[in-house]
Amino acid sequence: MALPQSLRTSVTPLELELIASEQLVEIVPLITMEKTAFISGAYGPLRPPAKCRIPLWMATNLKLKKKCHIVPPEWLSVDFLLERLTRETSRPEFSKLPFRFAEIAKVVLDVASDDVQNADKIKSLLKDLREARQAKSRDGLQKLDHSELSLPNLCSMEINEIRPFFIQSMGILTQLVREPSAE
Amino acid sequence: MVFLPPPHLASASRPAYAEAYANILVAHRRSPLTSASSVIILVAPDVDALCAAKILAELLKQDDVMHRIIPVSGLADLERMKDELVTYAELHTLILLNMGAILDLSSENWFGEFSMKLTVHIIDSNRPQNLANMFSGGENGERFIVWDDGEAENMGEERKAWEALTYEPEPDSDEDSELDDQDEVRSNEDDGPDDDEEFSERGPSGKRRSLGDGDRSQEKRRKLDDQSTRLSREQRDTYHELIAKYYGSGSWYGQSASATMYILATVLERVDCDFLWLAILGLTFQYTTARISRDTYDKYHSIYYDEVFRLNPLPPDVAANTTDAITAMSPDDLSVRAAEELRFMLFRHWTLYDAMYHSSYVAGKLGIWKERGRKRLTGLLAKMGFSIPQTQQPYAHMDLDLKHQLRAKLDSIAPEYGLVELTYPSFARCFGYRASPLSAADAVEAVGALLDVAGGIRMEVEVEGARHGGEWFGGGRLWEGGRNGEEKREKRIEVGSRQKDGDDDADTDVNGEERKERTWWVKNFWAAYDALSDIVPLRDALSLAMSLHRAIIRQGTSIIDKQDIRTMRSHRVVVLSQGPDLALFAHPGVLARLGLWLVDALRDRLPGTKIGGLKGRGKKSLPFVVACLNERTQTYVVVGIMGALDFGDVRRNEFGLAFIEAKQRCNARSRHSTFDASVLEIEQEDLKLFLETLCEVGEGY
Repeated sequence: MALPQSLRTSVTPLELELIASEQLVEIVPLITMEKTAFISGAYGPLRPPAKCRIPLWMATNLKLKKKCHIVPPEWLSVDFLLERLTRETSRPEFSKLPFRFAEIAKVVLDVASDDVQNADKIKSLLKDLREARQAKSRDGLQKLDHSELSLPNLCSMEINEIRPFFIQSMGILTQLVREPSAE
Repeated sequence: MVFLPPPHLASASRPAYAEAYANILVAHRRSPLTSASSVIILVAPDVDALCAAKILAELLKQDDVMHRIIPVSGLADLERMKDELVTYAELHTLILLNMGAILDLSSENWFGEFSMKLTVHIIDSNRPQNLANMFSGGENGERFIVWDDGEAENMGEERKAWEALTYEPEPDSDEDSELDDQDEVRSNEDDGPDDDEEFSERGPSGKRRSLGDGDRSQEKRRKLDDQSTRLSREQRDTYHELIAKYYGSGSWYGQSASATMYILATVLERVDCDFLWLAILGLTFQYTTARISRDTYDKYHSIYYDEVFRLNPLPPDVAANTTDAITAMSPDDLSVRAAEELRFMLFRHWTLYDAMYHSSYVAGKLGIWKERGRKRLTGLLAKMGFSIPQTQQPYAHMDLDLKHQLRAKLDSIAPEYGLVELTYPSFARCFGYRASPLSAADAVEAVGALLDVAGGIRMEVEVEGARHGGEWFGGGRLWEGGRNGEEKREKRIEVGSRQKDGDDDADTDVNGEERKERTWWVKNFWAAYDALSDIVPLRDALSLAMSLHRAIIRQGTSIIDKQDIRTMRSHRVVVLSQGPDLALFAHPGVLARLGLWLVDALRDRLPGTKIGGLKGRGKKSLPFVVACLNERTQTYVVVGIMGALDFGDVRRNEFGLAFIEAKQRCNARSRHSTFDASVLEIEQEDLKLFLETLCEVGEGY
């Protein structure tokens, strides 16, 4: 692979985005399509203006060709994110968010920002959320020991970020524990 | 060849744009040999065609149709392209943008010999169009489709005339003239039979006698049949006259190609801000290069105005009607807003003094080329409350309140100097936080400059802050545009030719030159095409446009100062044979701009001449012929411009026909290098003779 050494142990964000694109989203199609079989499953039929659930990758493709409108998931709204942000900043543990929210939010905002209401406000809220959670996960790493690290409600991108670090450090800590320090 | 009516005139029996487009898709999906060369788009090198190509390419991309865009610079290039296209087996759709309307495309010279599955779509704003393209039907005719803008509805007379003349046999075959003769005798129209008819009368009458009586009944039957459909001589003449009038009244422009494409996108319900912006650029291009009148511009402007508000709903408290007051509301704000535009050239990117100095309208009214005129300009600015240091500052650094007041002050004070009608309604586009909002006129200038001069000529471009001994000493830097790749290619050609045999050197040099000539022009095209969607090269191109204007003004003022304009009976001639920018003006696009500048600048100072229609009963206008020497090829590039007496009005350009006739009369060695018949390249020695013949031709009008 062409990635630098330090990044080869973990998944890249683009790959995470690809994995997240398998999730279903709701769209309002503008074209008609019969129930078609794809590799991952059969989707459709698309009958405008009825809504339909299709994978995100297909929704992105159709949206770029102006053949559908993406309905943003319920958690991608100002109220929900604002409420989560206040919860995040007031309590020491992580608040519950959809596991792949960062990837899905990025794809939807890139492609269909005109379908999302208040896209700018949502972008700034997402940024605030990330900063708050990042601070917490940095603190949480101090509790690292050799046997377990428990960080509930951490999301896929964030886990991916710290995974190389804590795998290596847990390995070293285990070694240190197994061989009591010989002076 | 049929013409497509625009969607608002379509009905079930008359397919319109959407059906033609759907047919392209169907052909693409059903043909077994589909490849990237199945759909080819040939694009003429002007801003309007470029915008239309971009819209069309985007539509095709959204429908997953593979296509190729090929720029074509002129008739010679088109012929060469045609020879190449014959070899493509999988070609089934050909789209011509802003070219080909005047050519008879079904003849053998052009696309008549291609296979039957080829469909040719012609989207061209040039008029007049070849009537054969529009009206001939039949199986061969169905292959060529002209996308019309509604004008064809008014051409009923021409249609009748053309159909009558094409489908009726000519009156010089034996039997016809005999019958004609009899008709004439019966109806007593002519004074007497012509000479050749007498001849033929004797001939067939001899034949008739030899045929015997049995045929007399046949002839009688034939006579009875043909009387109802036979065209009388006088009808035939009126038809000929009608068609000659259509072709002979000069060239003008119809709906822009980008407007046609925008209508297609509307019918397919796939418009967005990008398409709207491109359509606006096409319209503004037509207006700023004096191809359409102010009335036509206003008509299309109102359509786009509604579209802007439909696609970009503004929050109600933001009311901005000048581009200065427009600010991007968010980093991703790419919306188009309506704004009033001042007639100063690129004024938001220059100092205010420079912008007024370089605008042809102001130049004409104030007489900028004289020192007195420049003083008047500073006087005007002072009266408006702008101090001299303020006007010498780049616009972006001017005081905010001065900017806001500019419009109001201009309205109140400028009429004293004779500057009325300084603004016209136009549009501007925000680019988020990446760049300040850009007005449509500025964007058109930038793209046009890229098309003309992005590569191939040394252009010095001013660096901001270089004046008044700024930080960067040495005022300019060379425009980098397309030149880097150019130099590498030069080196490669040189190395290649050195390795060949010695006696081939001369040929490879000439071919290398020609190839260089072609390639720099194609590079310009793609540089301009890219700049249409990317703001960074577009903004850089603004400085190129500014230096281009500076060169034009320099040359224009020196022409007027030296009184280099020779007045012939029916038009005015300027010949450029020396000067610092000669290489620059050897390009027809730049030369045409110089001509337009001269027309604008001298509009009030020169009386118009009555160059008229076919019978000399035309309107007054300002015909101008500008010629420039191309030292490298020892030819002169000649451009003819028909200016109108009122600002905002346009005249049909009759120089195309005049040039062709003069060329034939004096047998000058020349060629038309672009699609415009009023641009000609002629050998150096033949220029004088050609100009004299042109005067004679002009007198014939």
